[in-house]
Amino acid sequence: MKKTSLLQRPAVREVLRVLLAISIALIIGFIITLLVSKEPFEAYKMFLIGPLTRLNRAGEWIKESITLMLLGLSVALVFKANLFSLGAEGQMLMGALTSGVIALFVPLPGYLRIPLALVVAGASGFIWGAIPGFLKAKLKANEIVSTLMLNAIALRFYDYILIFFIKRPGAGYNASDCFPKDGVLPTFIPNLPFLQDVYQLFNTKANVTIMLYIALIAVYVVWRLMFRTPYGYELRMLGANENFASYGGIDTKRTIVLTFAISGILAGLAGAHLGMGIHQKLIANITVSLAFEGIVVALLARNNPLMVPISALAYGYLRAGADIMERSADVSREMVLIIQALIILLVTAERILPMIKQRIETRKNMSAGAPLAATQEQANISEGGNDVI
Amino acid sequence: MSFDVVLRSIFSAVFFASVLRISTPIILAALGGLITELSGAINIALEGIMLVSAFTGVVVSAYLHNTLLGVLAGIAAGVLIAALLGYFALYLKANIILAGTAVNILATGGTIFLLYVLTGDKGNSSTLASGMAPNVHIPLIKEIPFIGTVLSGHHIFVYLAFVLTALLATLLYRTRLGTHIRAVGENPVAAASLGIDVRKTQLIALLISGFLASFGGLTMSMAYLNIFQREMTAGRGFIGLAAVYLGGRKPWGTVLAAIIFGFADALSNQLGSLNIPSQLVQMIPYAVTILALAVYAVREQTLKRERQRKFQEQEEHLLKGETA
Repeated sequence: MKKTSLLQRPAVREVLRVLLAISIALIIGFIITLLVSKEPFEAYKMFLIGPLTRLNRAGEWIKESITLMLLGLSVALVFKANLFSLGAEGQMLMGALTSGVIALFVPLPGYLRIPLALVVAGASGFIWGAIPGFLKAKLKANEIVSTLMLNAIALRFYDYILIFFIKRPGAGYNASDCFPKDGVLPTFIPNLPFLQDVYQLFNTKANVTIMLYIALIAVYVVWRLMFRTPYGYELRMLGANENFASYGGIDTKRTIVLTFAISGILAGLAGAHLGMGIHQKLIANITVSLAFEGIVVALLARNNPLMVPISALAYGYLRAGADIMERSADVSREMVLIIQALIILLVTAERILPMIKQRIETRKNMSAGAPLAATQEQANISEGGNDVI
Repeated sequence: MSFDVVLRSIFSAVFFASVLRISTPIILAALGGLITELSGAINIALEGIMLVSAFTGVVVSAYLHNTLLGVLAGIAAGVLIAALLGYFALYLKANIILAGTAVNILATGGTIFLLYVLTGDKGNSSTLASGMAPNVHIPLIKEIPFIGTVLSGHHIFVYLAFVLTALLATLLYRTRLGTHIRAVGENPVAAASLGIDVRKTQLIALLISGFLASFGGLTMSMAYLNIFQREMTAGRGFIGLAAVYLGGRKPWGTVLAAIIFGFADALSNQLGSLNIPSQLVQMIPYAVTILALAVYAVREQTLKRERQRKFQEQEEHLLKGETA
């Protein structure tokens, strides 16, 4: 009896659902590997343990996860308000561009230049996020289409500035110069005498930057914002029921604009991390393959900011593993996209768990010969799926 | 190049012909977006459907040495992907935008993955000898000087796009199914109370959407180009979705909007030679779409308020009649 009550707790069910989805997706991934690879076990082993095999690989994993953490927070905030945004790509591009310009051209010492660049990246994400928020709140304009359009505009704007103003004339490829040292985020281990060895090791092998701390602070701030401030209360009320929230005297319009804008700050910072942390210059297609990754991270974390680091690390691990698998075996890294898609589908499908439960129950009933229980089960199912995302 | 040379090349028959060709995949995607938009089950997976169709068409036509079979397989694949989306969104109650995003990711990853398995190349299908849709030369019209060049000699999908638009307009506004689709999108609860099966209607709309968008994908890989390239749809599915809003959620308006997007694309290529940045030209239709979105939303609000006011007046009128 005790066991069933544990299973019925929503938090446990959520975790179970996510774990089940990931396991099914990984198993399907393995079946695909079996079908296409000459050495499937070796390939899948590299996929699953690859990021841990060398320090630089682990570094890649952590760097990737930092970006994903910021993107996941950005999306979780919007989802929590029961809103939708596909605009992370545009906000990232704006953040990368503005912070990149400062990192390249503003002649300030590093301890001023880097904070300035980060603040400006956040601000440009804020503005780029506030636009769809404003359109949604004041005009009830569809936020999915407006965020997609703003992505397209940002992409062209980024290319335009990069090609016509930043790139060295005559350079063959569309990229800026490497950022000067004062414009690159420093390694996360401080350069202190007694840490010299570790500092050297990380600086050369796995350059994880101070963005790690910023991302973790962001996790705390977003959590605090969501659960310990009046704004957070309004946000959650809005997410639970918009009409009820506005009857309750909440300025829903202001909350919507703010939510989109704050989500933009986080994506803007992720963009700054791409430029000043990972690539250390501005390149064309800098956000490639990251546009919708925040959605997966937020989904796996069930929109809980404190869970975002875990889901970002887990998902970043899969992405890093796929890269290593591609380099060391005959399976291409796109397999992780298939796994990602399966995870989204399985996690969001409200009806899957009740349906499996129903199957098991009916089978039990068939053997026990109790037809009455089936109708009761039916009633249980209909109360199963109530939250939207 | 001097200004008037470029200007002349823009207002030439060849240029307008190229606008038509560039617009075709966008038109077809937009038609798919229109029907789902009207049904209330927004299809964000147009992009993925196009990719899968483009890929399937190329592969099947190459392996069976038959272009028609390739096209048919491409259509079937597109409808199948739409059905997958419909199953998860409508029957397993997944959020339709998340499920659509998942389908897009699946399509991007799946096509590259299979391309690599089949050809050993992750970039394109150049090693496969795939089929090509035939060109159509319209008798009589092709003889007319300017118009002949613009309208005749395109591949078959260009004409199909307009035929399908007419068919879709008829379906939506002249048939029972079309009325049901629009009713479900307008107010699902009211439609259900009249005995319309909302879920089934939305599923049918999604399947038709998959059918239409798959032509858009086939246009890309079997007519516009004769090859499959990774991520070759390059956002056209999303542009199609935008065209629906820019076109005021009407069939011919949507087509016109899609052509505007095509025009901006073609124009930006031409202006590149004048040192006018193509990125700025390409930005315009997106910005206009946001504007259109805002205007449409405002109009919708005013109409709603107007309706409410009228309703209230009627109520008051009735009440007065009762008391008198």
